[in-house]
Amino acid sequence: MLTFQTGQKARLADLGAGTTLSVTARVTGPAPEYDLILFGLDAQDRLSDDRYMIFYNQPRSPEGALNMQGGARGEKTFTADLNALPASVRRLSLAATVDGGATFAQIDHAEVTVHLDGAPVATYRVTGRDFQAQRAVMLLDVYHKDVWRAWAVGQGFNGGLDALVRHYGGEVADTPAARPPAPPTPAPAPTPSAAPAPAPGGLNFNRERPRAEPAPPAAPPTPPVSLQKITLDKPGQSARLSLRKGGGSDPIRVNLNWNRGGGFLRSSTDLDLGCMYVLNDGERGVIQALGNRFGSERLEPFILLDKDDRTGAATDGENLTIHRPDLIHTVLIFAFIYQGTSDFTRVGGRLTMKDPRGNEISVNLSNPDMRRTFCAIAQIENHGGEIQITKEERYFTGHKDCDEHYGFGFQWSAGSK
Amino acid sequence: MAVSLSKGGNVSLSKEAPGLSAITIGLGWDPRATDGQQFDLDGTVFLLNAGGKVRSDSDFIFYNNKTSSDGSVTHAGDNTTGQGDGDDETVEVNLAGVPADVDKIAVCVTIHEADTRGQNFGQVSKAYIRIMNKAGGAEIARYDLSEDASTDTAMIFGEVYRNGADWKFRAVGQGYAGGLAPLARNFGVNV
Repeated sequence: MLTFQTGQKARLADLGAGTTLSVTARVTGPAPEYDLILFGLDAQDRLSDDRYMIFYNQPRSPEGALNMQGGARGEKTFTADLNALPASVRRLSLAATVDGGATFAQIDHAEVTVHLDGAPVATYRVTGRDFQAQRAVMLLDVYHKDVWRAWAVGQGFNGGLDALVRHYGGEVADTPAARPPAPPTPAPAPTPSAAPAPAPGGLNFNRERPRAEPAPPAAPPTPPVSLQKITLDKPGQSARLSLRKGGGSDPIRVNLNWNRGGGFLRSSTDLDLGCMYVLNDGERGVIQALGNRFGSERLEPFILLDKDDRTGAATDGENLTIHRPDLIHTVLIFAFIYQGTSDFTRVGGRLTMKDPRGNEISVNLSNPDMRRTFCAIAQIENHGGEIQITKEERYFTGHKDCDEHYGFGFQWSAGSK
Repeated sequence: MAVSLSKGGNVSLSKEAPGLSAITIGLGWDPRATDGQQFDLDGTVFLLNAGGKVRSDSDFIFYNNKTSSDGSVTHAGDNTTGQGDGDDETVEVNLAGVPADVDKIAVCVTIHEADTRGQNFGQVSKAYIRIMNKAGGAEIARYDLSEDASTDTAMIFGEVYRNGADWKFRAVGQGYAGGLAPLARNFGVNV
């Protein structure tokens, strides 16, 4: 049995016979948990199809050629039927990651054993001394270059799984230019034959959590696999999800919350959540508490604001749900200060937005000056069956100023509650 | 159309590029994509006689001795990170000016401070050597070492050698333990 050194390469055929590969891996160290992931990459070493990221949320590839099983004490075994793998998957990359402040310098060791048709043929072992601040480490690659080969990688990323996913081409797209609203004539329906390409990035590594609320009756059940999840940290980052893959009519949920305003002399703070929208049929409007435009779950625009929390006292804040993302053209989510303060940070204004695939945008609102108390938070666009969510976080003096930037073209007049 | 060689393969440069008088040897590798200390690779050239040894220490062309005593071989300098497009290091050889008692030009790459940094060629991606016609820059031959690089810290990437009146290039891809000093000693350099 071969003992790999870091950097060492070997042909699988030189290690043993067989086309059923299994790789057993375990990391031991002080962290409560180390996660193991097998990436099925294309010939360009890209994760061009995220169904081939095998991990706790997705333990099996579509055709079953890749599988993950758990074992004792955190051990994971990944099995690959090399003959059954699609030709597009040319590299299997086994990586370990750790959450929180832990690094791989702290591990006792990580150990990988390679089996061919059940027989152990090679091992690879690294210890904390092989690493510094890495929070994601590539352990072993099995790849096809003329023949199947194995490579003890032993390198990693301080940026953890995020950085690892970006390394495999999972980088989120750059900010698209603000898209003009739909023309007055109804936009053509998405063409069913145009299958969207798998999204290049936005992989989720959060644990599946049971959904707190049941899906509306009209919507199909939440997909069991939560992939394509990403926290969009920076303005301009975006994530895409395919409606066909994810179930087109699953809702997108937005929550705005803030701390109760302060005491005797100051009136309580009122932040408002809302959106400007254009549907694919040309219908357009604004949903917000101001003017009692709460929308509807059952009728156009199928966007509903649950309440007007005047004080931030409601523990769940204000919630906006886009029930039919498949019908929208563009939705711009915004929050603004109605009264009580001129500084979002003073009241801890924060917004989170989740789509059914788990893409998550969270913004701690922080306006750059006291005049700009209106924040355009995120833009949701339907590109022919693919929903693109882009974090905006741009501050404006008000609705009109914001609309001028995004070009919805509404007529604005002063309103009050 | 450049000839792509695998380990041990050779090609006649003179036949591939008739009238060839000077070559540029390009060495390249991908910069480190992962976190940790950079891979600082150094290209080194040894002018060797028929016995496979340097004629004198000045036949050892490296970052501290960039030009051969006769001026026929010039090392263009060191790229310490592998950043940038194209070749990371280049060596120019005026074939007509190479002294008659130099039979072979061995092109080697070593990893700077490989031991202290815990690095080896198996961790470096997409290492290659290519030979271009200096006139016009057309690539004549290329050797990608990806699958031949393993746990070595010094490697002979290739060699340009005389074959009668012609010059040929061989893809060597041979690792050498211990780094630059033992490699230089192997070729008869006093280090």
